[in-house]
Amino acid sequence: MFIDADYGHKPKLGQIVCGDVFMNEKIKNENRLVAVLSDGLGSGIKANILAKMTASMALNFTVNNQPLERSAISIKQTLPICEVRKIAFATFTIVDTEFDGFTRIIEYGNPQFVVFRRNQLLALKTVVNAENELSVSEFNAEIEDRIILFSDGVSQSGIGRKDMPFGWGNCEMIKYIQNKLTHNPHISAKDLQKTIISRASLNDNLKPQDDTSCGVLYFRTPRQLILCSGPPYDKNKDAQMVEMVSNFPGHKVISGGTTAQIFARELKRPVEVDLSNVSPELPPIATIEGIDLVTEGILTLGKSAEILKNKEHNGVSSNNPAMLLSETFLNHDKITFLIGTRINEAHQDPKMPVELEIRRNVIKKIAYLLEKKYLKEVEIKYI
Amino acid sequence: MKKHKVTICTGTLCHVMGGSELPALSQFIPPQYLNQVEIKGSPCINHCKNQDMKPPFAEIDGDIFCEATIDKLVKELIKRIENDS
Ligand code: FES
Repeated sequence: MFIDADYGHKPKLGQIVCGDVFMNEKIKNENRLVAVLSDGLGSGIKANILAKMTASMALNFTVNNQPLERSAISIKQTLPICEVRKIAFATFTIVDTEFDGFTRIIEYGNPQFVVFRRNQLLALKTVVNAENELSVSEFNAEIEDRIILFSDGVSQSGIGRKDMPFGWGNCEMIKYIQNKLTHNPHISAKDLQKTIISRASLNDNLKPQDDTSCGVLYFRTPRQLILCSGPPYDKNKDAQMVEMVSNFPGHKVISGGTTAQIFARELKRPVEVDLSNVSPELPPIATIEGIDLVTEGILTLGKSAEILKNKEHNGVSSNNPAMLLSETFLNHDKITFLIGTRINEAHQDPKMPVELEIRRNVIKKIAYLLEKKYLKEVEIKYI
Repeated sequence: MKKHKVTICTGTLCHVMGGSELPALSQFIPPQYLNQVEIKGSPCINHCKNQDMKPPFAEIDGDIFCEATIDKLVKELIKRIENDS
């Protein structure tokens, strides 16, 4: 089972940073994923710091196998209590889930998260400890389950509007999500999170009254992607490389002109460059029948690494090749890089104006980002 | 009608060596001539392996053009088209 995790947020109107923080970490050798959403009291930088402190404590305790309840209690004891309102300075929800599905969620002060099994709300057994106000839920997640965490900025969005005096409310929100899931059963964590947030901010007439954030964990069968870049070290392996990609059970991407030519030659199919959509920034994409995406190599990969790093996949125009490539990465869960190691002599020319980074380094950078930042499963093979 | 075949290299090397504008060639061809040219791209037309020639590269009807610019290619195409008639 693969867990597709993503989150997004919009700060309260007028604030630059968000007072809600979402953090997650995949612990590879234990097959676990821990995610935390914390909402700092108030908004702005103070709230952000409180939430960040809380979230990182919660994450680290849990990652280090402290029992959930105990870490929650320690965090609660560490958190200052607001003098005026007599409430803790930050709320939190901790999700600890194993890849076989066993999941525990502990919550303090956040609106109740929701779990969907396909498009139906899953009723969970939740134990609330009245003394310390912690609620603990356990369940076995199955494929096509989704855990949706959100801050009160979402459930209370629109508050005070004539048609929703008490805000959006859990009921309506659940109906909204249910509707989305019915129409788009395989919606990714990213897209679901985005629609929920944009709906919430629409409720507030696009002027969020509170920090609004939402995190989604989506359990699904892994979507596989292979990216092949660079000619093999040994010319005799060209055919083997092409075969590995052709037989791959998933999405196929080629990144690199020489590589594309090897495929064209071996598969006896033409490479056609698409000149209908060109920008001076990057060389255009091409097509080869049977391959899902063909891009230029090093420049496009480099740009894509930048996009992945800055998470700015909203800014760049959507038909930019690096953007297409980044989107393709993010839409998959298990990514295999098949990297040819023959050096391109033409790039070694000292007259070259830009330093063309070595392919291997760029790939390593992308792999690192995909694994750490986007929690993808990544494998690099050299040929 | 005879069509002049242009192949533009969209490879990494040609792109960084000044060829980044070339893929937009069709936008610079006088509209009345557009139907007499066929423009294609190629991920590398293999001239970059030759150290003696300077990128970016393009080909018109099989003839190689080094240090290609939009201006050069458009002029050459017009010359060829006008020669036809
Ligand atoms: S990159 Fe242009 S000819 Fe090779």
